[in-house]
Amino acid sequence: MREVVKFQFYEIKMCLLFIFGSAISLLFVEVSEGTTLETNLSLKGAEWVRNGVLRSLAKLEADDQSPFSLGQFSLGFLDELEVSNQCLELLHSFTIKCVSHVDCTLRHARPVRVCENCYQDFSNLQEIYRNISQESLVNVSCRDTLLRSDRLQVIVSVYEFLNGFWGKSECSRCLTKEDSISNDTLNFMNALNQSLDCFQKFQQTGNLSELCKQCKGNYSRLSELYSQMEKNFTLCIDIEDAMNMTRRLWSKNFNCSFPREETVPVIAVSSFMLFLPVIFYLSSFLHSKQKKRKLIPPKRAKSSNNLMNIQDK
Amino acid sequence: MANVTKKVSWSSRDEGTGETTPLLNGAGKDSARYSRQFLNSSILGRLSAVVLDDQSNEDTETSCLKEIPHSEKLLSSKYESLDYDNSENQLFLEEERRMSSTEFRMLEISRWVVCALIGILTGLVACFIDIAVEQLAGVKYNVVKHSIDTFTEVGGLSISLILWAALNAAIVVVGSIAVAFFEPAAAGSGIPQIKCYLNGVKIPHVVRLKTLVIKVFGVISSVAGGLAVGKEGPMIHSGAVIAAGVSQGRSTSLKKDFKIFEYFRRDTEKRDFVSAGAAAGVSAAFGAPVGGVLFSLEEGASFWNQMLTWRIFFASMVSTFTLNFFLGIYHGKVGDLSNPGLINFGRFENEAMEYNIYEIPLFIFMGVMGGVLGAIFNTLNYWLTIFRIRYIHRPCLQVTEAVLVAAVTATVSFAMIYFSNDCQPLGENQAEYPLQLFCSDGEYNSMATAFFNTPEKSVRSLFHDPPGSYNPQTLGLFTLSYFLLAFWTYGLTVSAGVFIPSLLIGAAWGRLFGIFLASMTNGSIWADPGKYALIGAAAQLGGIVRMTLSLTVIMVEATGNVTYGLPIMLVLMTAKIIGDYFVEGLYDIHIKLQSVPFLHWEAPATSHALTAREVMSSPVTCFSRLEKVGNIVDVLSNAAMNNNGFPVVSEFSASAEPGRLCGLILRSQLIVLLKHKVFVERAHSSLIQRKLQMKDFRDAYPRFPPIQSIHVSQDERECMMDLSEFMNPTPYTVPQETSLPRVFKLFRALGLRHLVVVDEENRVVGLVTRKDLARYHLGKHGLEEMQISQT
Repeated sequence: MREVVKFQFYEIKMCLLFIFGSAISLLFVEVSEGTTLETNLSLKGAEWVRNGVLRSLAKLEADDQSPFSLGQFSLGFLDELEVSNQCLELLHSFTIKCVSHVDCTLRHARPVRVCENCYQDFSNLQEIYRNISQESLVNVSCRDTLLRSDRLQVIVSVYEFLNGFWGKSECSRCLTKEDSISNDTLNFMNALNQSLDCFQKFQQTGNLSELCKQCKGNYSRLSELYSQMEKNFTLCIDIEDAMNMTRRLWSKNFNCSFPREETVPVIAVSSFMLFLPVIFYLSSFLHSKQKKRKLIPPKRAKSSNNLMNIQDK
Repeated sequence: MANVTKKVSWSSRDEGTGETTPLLNGAGKDSARYSRQFLNSSILGRLSAVVLDDQSNEDTETSCLKEIPHSEKLLSSKYESLDYDNSENQLFLEEERRMSSTEFRMLEISRWVVCALIGILTGLVACFIDIAVEQLAGVKYNVVKHSIDTFTEVGGLSISLILWAALNAAIVVVGSIAVAFFEPAAAGSGIPQIKCYLNGVKIPHVVRLKTLVIKVFGVISSVAGGLAVGKEGPMIHSGAVIAAGVSQGRSTSLKKDFKIFEYFRRDTEKRDFVSAGAAAGVSAAFGAPVGGVLFSLEEGASFWNQMLTWRIFFASMVSTFTLNFFLGIYHGKVGDLSNPGLINFGRFENEAMEYNIYEIPLFIFMGVMGGVLGAIFNTLNYWLTIFRIRYIHRPCLQVTEAVLVAAVTATVSFAMIYFSNDCQPLGENQAEYPLQLFCSDGEYNSMATAFFNTPEKSVRSLFHDPPGSYNPQTLGLFTLSYFLLAFWTYGLTVSAGVFIPSLLIGAAWGRLFGIFLASMTNGSIWADPGKYALIGAAAQLGGIVRMTLSLTVIMVEATGNVTYGLPIMLVLMTAKIIGDYFVEGLYDIHIKLQSVPFLHWEAPATSHALTAREVMSSPVTCFSRLEKVGNIVDVLSNAAMNNNGFPVVSEFSASAEPGRLCGLILRSQLIVLLKHKVFVERAHSSLIQRKLQMKDFRDAYPRFPPIQSIHVSQDERECMMDLSEFMNPTPYTVPQETSLPRVFKLFRALGLRHLVVVDEENRVVGLVTRKDLARYHLGKHGLEEMQISQT
């Protein structure tokens, strides 16, 4: 019960703010009663607002004495403030785009092919969000009603999540400015396919060492392309994932990494190196003349007894 | 009245072992004996050159007889005290009286200017070192990485190993030659030397420009050469040299005098600036301005006041932010001031880094471990250093040793990396030079992050890499091998610090401990290995260097998180208590092995039985107010008489009664007087000769010419010199019965160099110097006395 009351107070505050805002815009309109098209337009808008404001003002006045009774008809009151049809339409299309983008992302989650497949969806989503967040001159702006009217801000959070997600995937690096897949990416995919074909071909024969030998050219070309793209910052998650998978295939499944086979020379060189200081220290111990310190007899009051140990009484 | 002292020789070589004789049988008899001795002594002081020569022959004979191998129980006669107590002679007082209050205010302002300069220059030097090391190490690691990558593919990895070892050795040999042949004072971290300087010991060459140049050069080469060392300790030394140079307004080495800051050309003023320089060095090294101030406070605290503290803080701040500013430019962020310190532990701000009250016992346990490991480190290094002093004393041997260590360091690192099976996927915060070797593609060798990098970066990755970046086995091997390498490396003839290796060892076993805890508790969030790496690093460093207050603040500032204050303090406390139980701190060990007459905070605990009479040197060579030049020259040029202060006594009466004390004059002053030929006869003959001023003394400071370089003709030997104007007419004196702790306190608190012991009639009985006090120390068998050796 307490929560509800609190919430109502919050609403009242918002309403008051809204009313003040409208009143100010009203004043503005009345002062600059002009002839240009924009003013006319804004006048129209103002008309709408004015009606709303007047109505709500009247209601507020009526309830001024008893704020607790507000709850009884607040629903109807809020309804009238609620979203215009145009905004509802926007919201609806946002929902659709959102769903399709999420659907696409999840469908291509493993192995990751998000950038390649979903960039269209995402740019649609971006566009609709841009529409919502645009300052509308014609109508009451849907930005305020849809994006900023409540604490939860569902639309903003969902969009920000998806946008951040997209940003993390670095997909924009694989796309051109005109929202199509870049040439670099296509090149890489080509090279990847060649390597995979090669893998497939030799895997069927079952001779993995042959595979390592034969596909090495393809694979190292792919690696080179990859490291070059890494330097140019043209890597997106699709490519990274594809490369990771290929590497894992290469190293783990086909076991083509370099074997540790020169243990003996390394051990030999190391032990030779470790042996050098031993020789050095031994020889300097044996051959170097030990440095002696010459003592200076102290000048003390007790002339002869210069070295002593004072045991305490 | 049982004032009997047992006389037992602690050295078995000495004759008369175990012989006990009653030393003091009663006050009356005793004083009689002594008074007879002063009589002798003062006569001796008055004796002519012939007798003095005789005595020196005797001395050389006896000293030839006694030769012992180097040990820690020696004091070297080559170290002298600094004159921290102004010699308030007439010239000085006249000059001070002439100065107006405006001039004093100007002096105060110029002190601030000097401090700002110290800060800026220290920051610049730090910046230079940092950039040079990064560039040089970058080139080296890229070359080696390229070679390893190539040879992994085609075979022949032992060639990479040889290449790496050769590169390391080549870089190190340059720095080592510079240090060994040109300026041995630049060896090591320099912190022990600066500690001694602030304590009042003049270490030859320690604050020279040449030392600074060699030091900077040496640090760059030893860090880039891959030794297990850091560049932080040497920064403190560098800051101190810069301070000593800037405050003088001239460079004696470059023979350039800017004619500014002339007032600061004496030990008292210079010491204040050197402490500011040391603080600026710490603050540049760790990005810890407060830590720097506290470091100076901890090491040189007996001479402090509020204004000086504030000035030193100013210098520290300026130095940190100069470094930040220029590193900001280097990293392409002009105007960014948030890039502090040569070593930067990074920010400890994520949730897993929080700690809880139940972790405190764990931290304390880690402190115990740090203390024990630190004691082991110090003991091993102690034996090694003794061996080095005894056998590896020729420069070419020292260079060879450094080269061998460099090559072996590379070999051990390579072998570790080669045989490591710990492969980790390349992440976002990957190592700077990831080595793949036999790992699968897309993975890197985790041992290489620790070994194939500069130590600073390894420390940071141990602190901040996410859990699971290192196998326990990797960490264990790394700790062990780095521990051995680090203790082997410290004390080589290269410029290098011990801070970073200690931190690295500690971080490695701390992280291991964290992993162990996490596996015990099934991976709960609180046992984040990075946090334990930090605590382990603090414990290890505390166990090795045993610094307390300043180290706590430095660590807290370097992590940038004040909530770690408590655990770090507890850990350092525990480490110090445990470590001190076994062996002293590393710096103290090295100070002792250098035979430096270092005065600790307090006199040894059981020394109350000793009085000034037993401590002082006697007989004392005295001069009279009006002294014959020949006498002075003879005394000064006598090799066996290397004391620097001479009491001046009133005229001797005919009955050979010793004169009363009327002042104290220093060797350096006498030399300046002889050089300017300030003889009584000259003053009468030539009226145009100008009066000697304080300026003449300052110009000669700090490198007074040796007596041999001053020519005194036969005629001049017969002249007389009037010392009364130049001597310090108010030297500190104590009666013979003063206890050793009291004498000690006077020395330590006032920074004295000579303390005259007088009898009740103000006649000179003896002279107490720093070496007389420093030779008493608390050994295993009670109070022991150290011997004084030549050089």
